[in-house]
Amino acid sequence: MLCTISRWMISRSEDTGKKMPRLIERHIVRCGACGEFARVSASLSSRLREERAAWLAKVPDFPVDLGRGLETTMQGARAIEAGRPLSRRLLFGLRPLPIAVTALVVVAAALVLFQVVPKGSAPTAQDRAAARAAIKSFTSAPGGLQGAVGKAESSLEREGRILGQSLSSAAEYLQARLNIKIERKEAPKPL
Amino acid sequence: MADHARTEEKTDDELAREARDGSRRSFEELARRYKRRLFVYLRPRLGSDEDAEDMVQDTFLKLYRNVGGYDPAYRFSTWLYTSANRLAIDSFRKNATVRRESAGVANDQLSDPAAGREAGTGESGLWDKAQALGETRFRVLWLRYGEDMTIDEIAAVLGRTRLAVRVLLHRARTSLAGLLGPDMCREARPRPAVARRSSGD
Repeated sequence: MLCTISRWMISRSEDTGKKMPRLIERHIVRCGACGEFARVSASLSSRLREERAAWLAKVPDFPVDLGRGLETTMQGARAIEAGRPLSRRLLFGLRPLPIAVTALVVVAAALVLFQVVPKGSAPTAQDRAAARAAIKSFTSAPGGLQGAVGKAESSLEREGRILGQSLSSAAEYLQARLNIKIERKEAPKPL
Repeated sequence: MADHARTEEKTDDELAREARDGSRRSFEELARRYKRRLFVYLRPRLGSDEDAEDMVQDTFLKLYRNVGGYDPAYRFSTWLYTSANRLAIDSFRKNATVRRESAGVANDQLSDPAAGREAGTGESGLWDKAQALGETRFRVLWLRYGEDMTIDEIAAVLGRTRLAVRVLLHRARTSLAGLLGPDMCREARPRPAVARRSSGD
């Protein structure tokens, strides 16, 4: 038990630089294995650092072929710095996920803001024929288009005439009933 | 030529600052310095040289892509290893199925410190022995002694607490001392790495 604690304290001392308790120091002196552990731990740092370069040299070299990928990335970085617009391919190559998310947001916003209304159905052949016949009737009416317009106005005149007749009959009735004479005023002079 | 020599003399952090400002040469120099170091760090986790080389390239590409966001307050190596670690985790998750199928073989290849001691007699390299301790222990040893990182930096790279890193380092030291020193007392003799891996190490 004390060995386990001692070795943890040795490691703690290596990592944090804290001094070991006196009890542990005494144990290390007495226990050969813990003394060995302390010696190995103390030398481990320098030994590993010394051997690092030689060990790395044994690792076979390999090319870091950043090549086209790096070139593309660098073009992108340079274009951004120069304020030039990026080509679409490059843009997607650089940030595919943010661009996809942006596109989704734009489409969603467009759907929220604008309502899609279906267009009315196109006129059928019958509708077209009816429209053509109506135009023909206008153009073939007596007096042409003006005649058709005059014909439309005649209904107003008729109404005026009917109203005038009603008024004159009412006036006749009142004259007979009340034994008075009703005369029509002259039309007011224009200002 | 003189420029090239000057680039080689610069520190990593100077080169990283220049790369952030758009210097491709500085970035290439950083890649040249770190490619092997990153390779040995990633190799035990990924399982094959090809995967490790691909991961090194992916890491450098990712780094260059985000070099504008490099914060000089932190060491370049911390940034590099953190990115590499995250990419390795992603790759590990993607290949989890394949890995599970070959788990039997992989477990056989994981070193048992006792077996390592026998095998280690033929190996003079301390780092070879460290690599035989298993992936996690090797990584903390590499970051601590290969990259001279502090406990805080290792914790940031691995995404663990300081205490967890210290425990990992302690176990790695104990195992390594077990390989080096034949007279370890029975109480503190390290258990086989395979058995300890199942407990989350």
